[in-house]
Amino acid sequence: MGTGEGKKGRLICSFTRIYLIIPIVFVAGIMFIVSCTKMNEFNIGKDFVESQTRLQVIDTYRVDLSTILLDSLTSSSTETVFIGNYKDEVFGSVKCESYFDLAYEAFSEIEEKAIYDSSAFILIYTGYSYGDTTSLMEFGIHMLTENIVPFENGYLYNNSSFDYVPEAFGTVRFYPEPSSKKDTSVSIPANALGEELFTLIRDKDEKVSSAEWFKDYIKGFILTPGNVENKAVIGFDAAQGQISLRIYYHFNKEEPEKHEILIKMGEARHQFNHVSYDLTSTSLQSIKMEGNEISSDKTDFKGYMQGMIGLLPKIQFPSLQNILQENRWKILKAELVVEPVKYSYDIFKLPEKLYIYDTDKENRINSLLVDNESNSLVALFELDDIFGEETRYTYDITDFINDELSDAYFDYGHGLLLGLEQEKFRSSLDRLLVEGKDPPVKLLLYYLTY
Amino acid sequence: MFKPGKICILVIVLLLFGPGSLSSQTTSSPYSIFGLGYLEGNSIGPFKAMGGTGIARLSNRSINLMNPASYSGIDSLMSIFEVGVFGKYTIFSTSRDNQSLLNANLKYILMGFRIAPWLTTSFGFSPYSSIGYNINMDSPVEGTNLKFLKTFSGQGGVNQVYLGSSIKLLKNLSVGINAAYLFGNITRTESSTAFTYYLEDATYISNFNLNYGLHYQFNMKQWKYSLGLIYGNSKNLKTKNVTTIKTENETEILKNRKYKYSIPQNIGAGIALSKGYFSAGVDYEWSKWKDVEFTNSYLQTRNSNRYSFGVEFPSPGQNKGTGKMIFYRFGGEYRESYLVIDNTPIDYRAVTIGAGLPLKGILSVINISVELGQNGTTKNGLFKESFITLHLDMSLRDLWFMKQRYN
Repeated sequence: MGTGEGKKGRLICSFTRIYLIIPIVFVAGIMFIVSCTKMNEFNIGKDFVESQTRLQVIDTYRVDLSTILLDSLTSSSTETVFIGNYKDEVFGSVKCESYFDLAYEAFSEIEEKAIYDSSAFILIYTGYSYGDTTSLMEFGIHMLTENIVPFENGYLYNNSSFDYVPEAFGTVRFYPEPSSKKDTSVSIPANALGEELFTLIRDKDEKVSSAEWFKDYIKGFILTPGNVENKAVIGFDAAQGQISLRIYYHFNKEEPEKHEILIKMGEARHQFNHVSYDLTSTSLQSIKMEGNEISSDKTDFKGYMQGMIGLLPKIQFPSLQNILQENRWKILKAELVVEPVKYSYDIFKLPEKLYIYDTDKENRINSLLVDNESNSLVALFELDDIFGEETRYTYDITDFINDELSDAYFDYGHGLLLGLEQEKFRSSLDRLLVEGKDPPVKLLLYYLTY
Repeated sequence: MFKPGKICILVIVLLLFGPGSLSSQTTSSPYSIFGLGYLEGNSIGPFKAMGGTGIARLSNRSINLMNPASYSGIDSLMSIFEVGVFGKYTIFSTSRDNQSLLNANLKYILMGFRIAPWLTTSFGFSPYSSIGYNINMDSPVEGTNLKFLKTFSGQGGVNQVYLGSSIKLLKNLSVGINAAYLFGNITRTESSTAFTYYLEDATYISNFNLNYGLHYQFNMKQWKYSLGLIYGNSKNLKTKNVTTIKTENETEILKNRKYKYSIPQNIGAGIALSKGYFSAGVDYEWSKWKDVEFTNSYLQTRNSNRYSFGVEFPSPGQNKGTGKMIFYRFGGEYRESYLVIDNTPIDYRAVTIGAGLPLKGILSVINISVELGQNGTTKNGLFKESFITLHLDMSLRDLWFMKQRYN
């Protein structure tokens, strides 16, 4: 290509480029200058679309409410000591006692001239409390007369118990401060026990010479309110080593020298809470006679939920089978709306997180219902502090309903249980009284027809 | 052979307008709810710039898809590759409210070349009709006071791939035929995000269709007169409609049916006159849509009419007749569309202005035009579309078949 031709080519090139730029700038300009209606806001033409669907809400399918009582709940390894008792007009009185034992460690030598001072069990608050904590509280500590032995599955239950010496060797009366700063503790004096142990250790007695001997000598302890009437249940930290027996002593040199022996709590699976309850003055009094399940018809149209005791409201859908007779429908959403009984949560607060379990005719807790992302399904909780009118739990149980209907048969025995999350259910007394009549538990079906 | 520069420009243009870059819909008009949607028409590039006037024009620098007889105008040494894109900004107004949308897309790809001195051929892809809308409305949840947002949307359209040829019967007389395969789907959906469901009503359409054209020209007193005629028979379309509903976990087919859709008989005529590089023309086209029925309770069809005129003249001065010559074009168009909605006819009117800019010597041309127009009316609860459209057409002409043969 000659130079002349090249120059001409470049000229034409720049000449056409100018014209090319014009439309590009023009379009870019339009794109930046003009404002467009958002795609999801555009609605011109809405008068001419022909909808082929209708969405309606149906709440007329009946919901049956009953209460079930679990035989027992595992209560070991909760890492918490629950201690105390209270009276609840609706749920009956509840008493919590806690068992634990001590770990053996080879004790270091104590000088012969050492002098015993004092000893105590130290309990650190977890922050948990249930009931009225403004009153004075009292409980004692007793020696067990048998070792704590878990069942073959490794657990102990809320109804497990072991024998103990009827007289407490130490008691404590105090105003609980569960919500105070971390590491605030309660000490239970244990002087007699402490002095005995001190002497044995100093004298290198065989009772404290090995784990076997020690375990035989000190079998374990129970913390119990006994017959005292408290108004609350308090939680103390029972994580590994958090409960301890401290023995204080000193010996005199030029200056008195202070020492302590620290004996920690034993295995976590040996620590468990015994929960006793008395339903005789409540609507649930006949629940055991009825086979641990009682219809809300017989309990003043209420359903009961309480952790640690093992009460769970059960929901069943007796008439949902009828929906299968209809044609051309889809359930887009199914909501279960549960309201607590008004004024039932003035003293005992409502649980904020309420879950839902799948159950069967035998009232087994089969599985937690999950949402689309396989997270545990938790109810949307609305609390109306002022009037209590709008307080409710709403579950989205669309998948459960659609799954159950998908085989063209709705099994009435396939019910749902409302409860706390599994770990919480065995380590919290949170309670809920479900209204079963005014208004009843509702199943809202968002029902698409076409 | 294409020069890298040309390919570069083509790539830029395709990227700028390509599907998905703005909105993948060819059209964006709630009126495309009705019938087969928005009829795209066959006017391209320079003819679009003249109000869509071209029945009596020969394909010369561009392929004239309006009249298959026009292909005989393609130069014997040339092959033409033509691609069209557009960008459209529309303000939709009702008697109460204004809303606006922007959309852009690739519109057509065509090729044309001469096989023998008496035979020219063209093939390509272009839309026959298109559907594109997205309308939201609050719908009641019956049995409650609640409302939820339902979205109605439509997409798709009828496309055509065609193979056409033109035969020169006499020096001044050509006839042509386009064999097109029409295919596509009209998909209307109804959905909601608040409650997960998706109802899809898809109509699949296909069939072959023939169009005929005739072109005659004669000279009189330094003026060249051209006459064009086009004809297309009515044709039933093969349809298959499938309605499905999808929810989170299941998909169910509700209906499986056929519609009696068809495309109508179509007749058009055009007259053009030219002198040197100046030319002007008028077109008229009529389609017998009244015979075609659609399943929409708001829609009635009527026979459609299209009137247009256009003028083309070269840049004055020293560039005239050279490679740098620019053509200027303008025109106007009035269409009485086939839609009568709620007893209200929908008419389309537009003016166009444009230019044909030479690119890289005399062989290739960029045709730009701007169309300003209105469609519909705000009467009777309807809405009016006021739009500005930029049409960009690249007509790449080369001797590439010749060259490739000898390379």
